[in-house]
Amino acid sequence: MTARSPLATALQSAVLLLFFGIIVFPIAWMMLTAFKLPRDVYQLGLGFSPTVQNFGIVFEAPWNIGLRIVNSMVVAFFTLAIAIPAAILSAYSFSRFEFTFKRGLFFLMLATQFIPAVVIILPFYLMFRDLGLLDTRTGLVIVNLAIVTPFAVWMLKGYFDAVPIECDEAALIDGASRLAIITRVIVPMALPGVIVASVFCFILTWNEFIFALILTRDKAVTLQVGLVSFRTERGDLWELMAAAGVFITVPAFIAAVAIQNHFDTGLTGGAIK
Amino acid sequence: MPDRIMRYLLLMPALVIVLGTTLWPLGSAIATSFRNWRLKRSPVPQSWVGLDNYAFAFEEPEFWNALQVTVVFVTLDVMIAVAVSLGLALLLRRAGVLQSLTRAVLILPFAMSPALIGVSFRFMFNGEYGVLAKGIGWFVPPLADVIWLASPGYAMAALVLSDVWHWFPYLTLIFLGGLAAVPVETEEAALIDGATPWQITRLVVLPQIKGVIAVALLLKTIFALKMFDSVQTLTGSGPGITTQTLAHYVYTIGFVHYDMGHASALAIVLTAILVGIGIVYTRLVIPPKAVAR
Repeated sequence: MTARSPLATALQSAVLLLFFGIIVFPIAWMMLTAFKLPRDVYQLGLGFSPTVQNFGIVFEAPWNIGLRIVNSMVVAFFTLAIAIPAAILSAYSFSRFEFTFKRGLFFLMLATQFIPAVVIILPFYLMFRDLGLLDTRTGLVIVNLAIVTPFAVWMLKGYFDAVPIECDEAALIDGASRLAIITRVIVPMALPGVIVASVFCFILTWNEFIFALILTRDKAVTLQVGLVSFRTERGDLWELMAAAGVFITVPAFIAAVAIQNHFDTGLTGGAIK
Repeated sequence: MPDRIMRYLLLMPALVIVLGTTLWPLGSAIATSFRNWRLKRSPVPQSWVGLDNYAFAFEEPEFWNALQVTVVFVTLDVMIAVAVSLGLALLLRRAGVLQSLTRAVLILPFAMSPALIGVSFRFMFNGEYGVLAKGIGWFVPPLADVIWLASPGYAMAALVLSDVWHWFPYLTLIFLGGLAAVPVETEEAALIDGATPWQITRLVVLPQIKGVIAVALLLKTIFALKMFDSVQTLTGSGPGITTQTLAHYVYTIGFVHYDMGHASALAIVLTAILVGIGIVYTRLVIPPKAVAR
C-alpha cells in the first residue's frame, strides 16, 4: 500500500482507540458497578472501595437469581437439544438432495424470520393459557424454537455444503445408511460449523427477552426478565442490576469468544457465499 | 430406506418445528385479527368483525405515532450503524496492534443481551449521575443540561445510540469478512494507475463488497423494524409514547390492554411491512443467485 504520512497514521490510531473505548466502556462500566456499594454507584470517579456483596444479595429473596440462572440454562439447553439435531437432519437433506419445492421450502424457513416476535407470541400466549403452560420452562422452550431452528438450518446447510459429496458416496458404497452418514461422517467433518451454529443459537436463546417477559410471572422467570425486577419503588437498584448483568454476560462472552474467528459467517454465511 | 423417502423424512423435524412455531401463530393471529376479543371481558373469542380491527387500528393516532417513531428509528439506526461499521472495517483491514486489539472486542456487544444493554444505557444516560450523559456534556457543553431520557428527541437519540452500539461491531465483522475476499491485485492495479486512496476505496473496493453491504442493510433493517427489547428496558417507550416502536405498540395493546383482536390486526400490519420490505430488498438489491442458494 501507499506510504502514509505520520499525521494520517496518528489520526488512524486515535480513531481506532476511540472505537476500542466506545466498545469496551459500557461493558466495563457495568462490570465496575457490580462491585460498588450503593453509595458509590452515583459517583463517577474510580475511587471507590470494591465489594462483592452485590453478588451475594442477588441470590437472596426477593431476587432469587439462582433460580433465574437455572431457568435460563434449562431453557437454553432444551431449546438447543431439540433444535440442533432437528436442524442437522434437515440441513443435510437441503444440502444433499434435490426435491420438489426445495428452493421454496428453504426460502420459507428464512422468510419466517420476517415474522416479528410479537406476532408469534400472541397465539402462543392464548394457547399456553388454555394448556396451563404459562410461566413454565416448557412453554419458553417451545417458543424459543421459533427463533433458533431456522437460523440453525441455514447455518448448518452452509457448513454441510462445504463437505465434499464424495465422503457420502464412499460411505454409501460401504453400505452405511443416511443416518449413519450424518452422525459418523458429516457431523464430525463439519464439527466446527456445528459448534458455531450451536453457540450462535445459545446466545440467541440465552438473551431472549420478549417471550419470557410475556410468558413468565414467577417460577419460570429468566435472567433477562429478572433484570426488570431491580426497578423497585425505592428506585433502580443499579448495583444489583449490574451484578445480575455479570451473570448474564459472562456465559455469552465465553461462548462468543470461543467461536470468534467463525462468528462473522454466522447470520449471513449462507447468503453471501 | 430409499433416498426418495429419506430426503423428506430428514426434512420433517425442523420443518414441523418451523411451521408449528411460526406459520401456525401467523395464521392464528390473522384469524384473531378479524374477531372481537378483549381478554379482560371474555376468555374466548367473540364475534367476527370483519376488517373492523384494521379500520380501528388505522384510526388510532397512537398507530401513526408508532409508525412514525419506527420509520425515524429504523432510518437513523440503519444508516449510522452501517456507515460506522463500514468505515471501521476499512480501518481494520491493515495489520497492527491497535487493529488486533479492536478486532478482539468486536464480538462482545453482539453477545450482550438487548435487555441488559437497555438497562445499562438507562443507567448511563441518567440525567443526574449517568456517566454517558455527564461525559457527553463535558465534551459538548451545550448538551450538559440535557435530561436525555426525559426529552423526546434525546430519548430517541439514546435509543439509536444504544442499538448502534449493539450492532456496529458485529456489522464490522461481517464487512471484514467481505473485505477479506477482495483481491489485493485490484487495489494495486488502481494504485499504479494513479488513483488516490479515497478513489480506490470508493471505486474499487466498495463495489466488490456490494453484496455484503446489501445483506448487512437488510439484516439491520429487519432487526431494527422488530425493535422491542431496549425500548422496553431503556426508554419504556417514553417520554410519553415518543419512542414507542410498532413492535412495542403491539405489545402494549396485546399485553397491557389485553385487546387480542386489535393487537393481532396491528401485528399483521407490522408483519406485512416487514415482508414487503423483505421482498423489495431481495428483488432490488441482492442478486437472485445469492438468495436461492
